[in-house]
Amino acid sequence: MKSEERCNNHSLVTQGKMNQARLLQNQYTISILNEGLRVGLLNSEDVYGTERQLMSILENLIRRYTQGESSSVTSETAVSILTSVLYAVDAYLLHFKNPEKAIDVLKNDNVKKAYEQGIDLIRHCFEETKQLYKEINHNKLDVAVEAYNITIDESIPVFLKKYGIIFDAHNTMASIDYPLAIDDMSIQGVYYLRQYLTHLKMETQFCLLFNKDDLQQILVNYGRICGFDYRIELFNIFELVLNNAIFSILSGGHASQITISINQYKQLDDLFNKLNDSQVQSIILKAVDRLRYHFNMKDPQMINYLKQCGMNLVNRVKSVVNQNRLEMVVIVEKKWRSKPIVTTFKASDRMSDNCFRLLIEKVMNCEKLADKVDVIRTNFRSLHDYIDMLNTNCLLDDEYEELFKTFGDVELAILTKIVFYEELRNGSTDLSSFYDKEEQHESEWQNHFIEFIKSIDINRKGTIKKYVNDIDYEEISFY
Amino acid sequence: MFLAEIFHSLDSVTLEKYTDEIIKINQKAKEFGLVLTRDEIKNIIVSRNQVLHSYGRVELSVEVTKELAEVFCTSPYVDDKNYVSTLYELQEIFYYLKNETEDMIGDFQLIGMMKDYFDDICSGSLELLKSKLEEFAERFRSDTPFRKSFFERDER
Repeated sequence: MKSEERCNNHSLVTQGKMNQARLLQNQYTISILNEGLRVGLLNSEDVYGTERQLMSILENLIRRYTQGESSSVTSETAVSILTSVLYAVDAYLLHFKNPEKAIDVLKNDNVKKAYEQGIDLIRHCFEETKQLYKEINHNKLDVAVEAYNITIDESIPVFLKKYGIIFDAHNTMASIDYPLAIDDMSIQGVYYLRQYLTHLKMETQFCLLFNKDDLQQILVNYGRICGFDYRIELFNIFELVLNNAIFSILSGGHASQITISINQYKQLDDLFNKLNDSQVQSIILKAVDRLRYHFNMKDPQMINYLKQCGMNLVNRVKSVVNQNRLEMVVIVEKKWRSKPIVTTFKASDRMSDNCFRLLIEKVMNCEKLADKVDVIRTNFRSLHDYIDMLNTNCLLDDEYEELFKTFGDVELAILTKIVFYEELRNGSTDLSSFYDKEEQHESEWQNHFIEFIKSIDINRKGTIKKYVNDIDYEEISFY
Repeated sequence: MFLAEIFHSLDSVTLEKYTDEIIKINQKAKEFGLVLTRDEIKNIIVSRNQVLHSYGRVELSVEVTKELAEVFCTSPYVDDKNYVSTLYELQEIFYYLKNETEDMIGDFQLIGMMKDYFDDICSGSLELLKSKLEEFAERFRSDTPFRKSFFERDER
């Protein structure tokens, strides 16, 4: 909540008689009661009085929850409503700077007032959150990162639609996949979402300061470094941009530049290898300051965020330099292939569901193997349809081999990248070790595909391997 | 403190408060020759708390017990010998039914239905009442048209 920085402090600092480390952010009222009782600021009568007032609030809410139809609910429902009540009381008590003021509220039988004020605070926070969402949605980055887009387009609207201040205030009912550079997941309910969107807004604003094409190129190159399809992976875009902007400054580039050439990379490698840990920290934080001045940033929250992320980068750089793997952090500009890959897979030719069903039936009804392969090769165009078709198991044993024989090297390389996605993602490039693995793949066609690839001659395997390394996932027009 | 345990705790102040509320039903029950003593009421409340606990339910008032006492005191099958024991059983049946009908039927409607079954087809037999209401709950859950017609009947 508001005191994210305050209540997660597990130091043994005491304020008055209370030990702040014992005050839990997500159970603030209860922990205040326990701690107040422990140090004598509250007595058992006070605790009992608080319990009674909470039960009285709950009793009314049960009536409201059942729309006056029932005076009882299941224990799960009662616990959930009470947790929602406590979330509101927590919100009010947490807004005091001093926990002893919270004690005064509990001592003076003001729990009902605290609850009502807490509801107002939550309602206010919810409005702020909706406003933040509008701003983010309006200035969204134009990137193909699925988690980023789904989080903004679907998950957060679901939360905003479903969030219930009275009965579900504590719930964070959204599957928010997009990871932030800094995210306090111990917070619950709408306070979590406000924190999430505040950070996302800063991150988005920062990314918008840079050239859109450069950002796109960073994403592609990052996918290449990690050996994965950046569009479907979970990673933070802002960190890539910030880190490369810092590296640009440190290698003589401009603050508004995020592309790093091979030469700049070499400079960085030399630089970091010469410096000790404290010097690494010093130059990275100075580069963060330069960014701040360059973009004339005044918002203290944004400045603080950049500093924290700068510190994260310091630790990351220290670690990769020690392991001699700086290339995992610096995203170096990749030379574009002069010729695009040529494949018979055409994404735009994806067929309708009905057409797909009819063709699968036709394939299954073909008596001759050659006819089956012919129907497939004549009618199927998009990779998506091919994968769907293979997953229907409409082919049997040898039939797979006959189909794969009709594919060119590029098509086989593309299927290899799909079948061995996880292996390639982990950075390994030794295809022969993948083929020899004993493990069964999830689909029948994948097992047949591996058998087929194993059977082809070594020269062709080499060509396919080259394509596997050359082709980026975003070049595979899947959709 | 807290949470789950607090729902089922029963301190003396609350017990007295609930007793005061239920004892008012005696005014009407007396018309039918029935009276509940304070001790009997207290025992009924303690029993109710155990029933709530065993059925995993929470009620922070005694509305249901009051309503059961008030509605069933008019039954021709309830007399001064079985009034208290009937209330024990009825509380148990009520919360069982509340769960089995997945909280879809309101308290008053459910109690009204229990009373109709008790007085009519069960002729005052609590055993039969349990069995008939079990059948009802089963059908209510699984038979959508039956459920619909139940609510439509009620609207009329």
